[in-house]
Amino acid sequence: MNFQDLLPYSVLVTVAAPGVCAVLLGLFTLLTGRTPQERTSSGLIRVSLLLSFVSGGVTAFGSTGRHEVDFGPWIHIGGYEVPIVFVIDTVSLVFSLLAAAITGLVARFSATYMHKERGFLRFFVLLGVFATGTQMASYAGALDLMFLGWELVGICSMLFIGFFHERQEPVRSSLRAFATYRVCDAGFLFAIVVTHELLGSTRLSALPAAAALPSLQAATLALLFLLAAVGKSAQLPFSGWLPRALEGPTPSSALFYGGVSIHLGLFLLLRVWPVMEVSPVAKGVGVAIGCMTALYASAVTRTCSDAKGSLAHATLAQVGLILAEISAGLTALALVHLVGHALLRVWQYLRAPNMIHDAHRTNLTSEIREEPAVDGLAQRLYARALFRLRLDEHIDRAAALVVVAGRALDLADRKLRGLFTAPGANR
Amino acid sequence: MMLSVWVAATSAAMILAPTLSARKRTEVPRVLALAFLAVGMAVAPDARVGLALAAAAAALHAVGAWSTSRIGGIALGLAAGASAVAAVGAALGRVEVAFIASIVTICLRAAVAPLHVGAAELCERAPGEQVRQLASLLPLVLVHVRFLADVPLAQEAARGLFLLGAVASLLPAVAALAQRELKGLYRMTTMMHGGYLLCAVAAAGRGHDAASVFAALTLVLAVGGLGLVVTALEARCGSVSLEGRGGRVRSFPHLAGAFAVLGAAGVGLPATAGFVADDLLLHAAWEESVVATAALIVASVALAIAMLRGYARVFLGPPVHSVAPDLLLRERVVVVGVILVLLLLGISPRWIIEGLI
Repeated sequence: MNFQDLLPYSVLVTVAAPGVCAVLLGLFTLLTGRTPQERTSSGLIRVSLLLSFVSGGVTAFGSTGRHEVDFGPWIHIGGYEVPIVFVIDTVSLVFSLLAAAITGLVARFSATYMHKERGFLRFFVLLGVFATGTQMASYAGALDLMFLGWELVGICSMLFIGFFHERQEPVRSSLRAFATYRVCDAGFLFAIVVTHELLGSTRLSALPAAAALPSLQAATLALLFLLAAVGKSAQLPFSGWLPRALEGPTPSSALFYGGVSIHLGLFLLLRVWPVMEVSPVAKGVGVAIGCMTALYASAVTRTCSDAKGSLAHATLAQVGLILAEISAGLTALALVHLVGHALLRVWQYLRAPNMIHDAHRTNLTSEIREEPAVDGLAQRLYARALFRLRLDEHIDRAAALVVVAGRALDLADRKLRGLFTAPGANR
Repeated sequence: MMLSVWVAATSAAMILAPTLSARKRTEVPRVLALAFLAVGMAVAPDARVGLALAAAAAALHAVGAWSTSRIGGIALGLAAGASAVAAVGAALGRVEVAFIASIVTICLRAAVAPLHVGAAELCERAPGEQVRQLASLLPLVLVHVRFLADVPLAQEAARGLFLLGAVASLLPAVAALAQRELKGLYRMTTMMHGGYLLCAVAAAGRGHDAASVFAALTLVLAVGGLGLVVTALEARCGSVSLEGRGGRVRSFPHLAGAFAVLGAAGVGLPATAGFVADDLLLHAAWEESVVATAALIVASVALAIAMLRGYARVFLGPPVHSVAPDLLLRERVVVVGVILVLLLLGISPRWIIEGLI
């Protein structure tokens, strides 16, 4: 038996180990009604993450070139097939190992950071599910499978943001993040349907056939993928949810919005690059969105008075640049940039609470410099950046229109039902 | 055979579920009769028998609904009449009549707008009966798919029905965002899934049988399960408002978990039957109309947001203590069973699909 024979097993362990442990922990608690000790729950998840990382290493060591590991169809009806297929190549290995390493480190950090915190078990169960989601998205060889991992990451992200659910703000922020995710995931879902119908399969290996599509169809498909990526990576105009998402525990913020989740949109674009490549329109839009987000986030960072908000916008600026790099065709540079950025940000996010603590302890706050007086264009730019271009207000206004439409429909429904009954009668 | 067993077992279990969780002994004879009728429909040898049993089941549901909701009772009575017409049409070889009457029955019972009035009232006034009548709708959909989806009219009407279903799905999903009470959210969820089901049944006319069976399974398990959870919650707290924050998660953690999982399964949570239903339906939708596909996706997005908003408003926020207990053992068994079936069918949909090929 050589290393290549081990690949199906190593990929399976990498993807499934954390999720299986999380489900077992959750089921144990539900069935027995007892919460396991902190050491047991965090230990189990950490061991599963280690196992996932080691199997990822074995996969990287055993593979040469591009491999597809096919576990047969999940759904198969006539010509319609949703395959369970994993792809092992440079992009998947790099992202998988990066995600596994960061998740493992954050889990170790969290065991101490979350000690005696209410929801300790919930935190680690979610961490396990998240790890499975990222690994599934990393290795997915078909868009349906990637969507499955993508959705798991989104759900975990939402639950982590609303982790402290007894306070109003985290709950509101998690709803905003989830709404943004869902709106942009609609693009991904639509793209999957379109890919299947136009290219005959949702396997990544079928994507190069997009080169033969008419330009309008190729552009539509690429723009749908771009919509999904822009939402997940909090690019303009969907940037508003990211600073609010930092309401969750610091380790999860580091993992999601510094390390892995924020880069998942970029990873999607790297995976569907054959589709992006053939659409100059989508590439142009990608470069424009990336550059505009980088400019916007750089400006806002300079006006932020809080450490986490500043970090969030600094992250956005770099993610914007990586998006522009990918859209410009510099995919290898983008991958290197992505890895370096993820590692740096995780460290910064994890360090942020200590930095604030140190600043208070050493009384650094008294040394804040007075901003020099500015006027004219600079003043206007400063004001715009201070209010973050009022992005959230614009989105809230659009959402309010939908709610008004919903109210009108509800009223119409009540009137219709009212026609069949007299007031106060047994309806 | 495997498919019939799955459908019969799921339907019978969901018919019994409200009685098991609420322990209402007076209902037992009628509910057992309904369960037998559902099993009969699932294994019916032809359309005549299946539709005649569906008519009998709808009549029994109408009797059960009458005391709490006159409109619900009348709608179910009409559904029984339509099923009887369909059975007679099938017996006389007038398959077009049988097809139309069967579609009307499905619309009346699945709360497809604008025929939703009766079923929508049941959601508010008799949620237990609503869960039961949704459960016995599953074998009726199977009868329709097996014996009526191949008639020439089904193919001709597919596109029109599909568009109607997409609209009937989108409008309630948007209205769900503006609901102020939990029951309103449940009503709109049922209506949205009713639209989905109509699309799926229309798609069966073009050979997408699996989409219709999975849409019906999702309606029965996810929406029916949600109905059980809403009933259990309102039995403890009275009418539940969606204004402000309820903060009930600490008092009712199992109820909150069940609500979250069932609500998410209804909007295509990965690894549940809802995800498979969405996947198959969207694939079928593309063949009918791109606009309908977009409408269904938007409907799913809107309902997902409405569902999370509902969850946040009911369960999250500053904790509110309650003396009422969380889910009782018998309720937990029912809810866990429903969730397990949703997961099993989501992870391994081939059990259903292979029965259709």
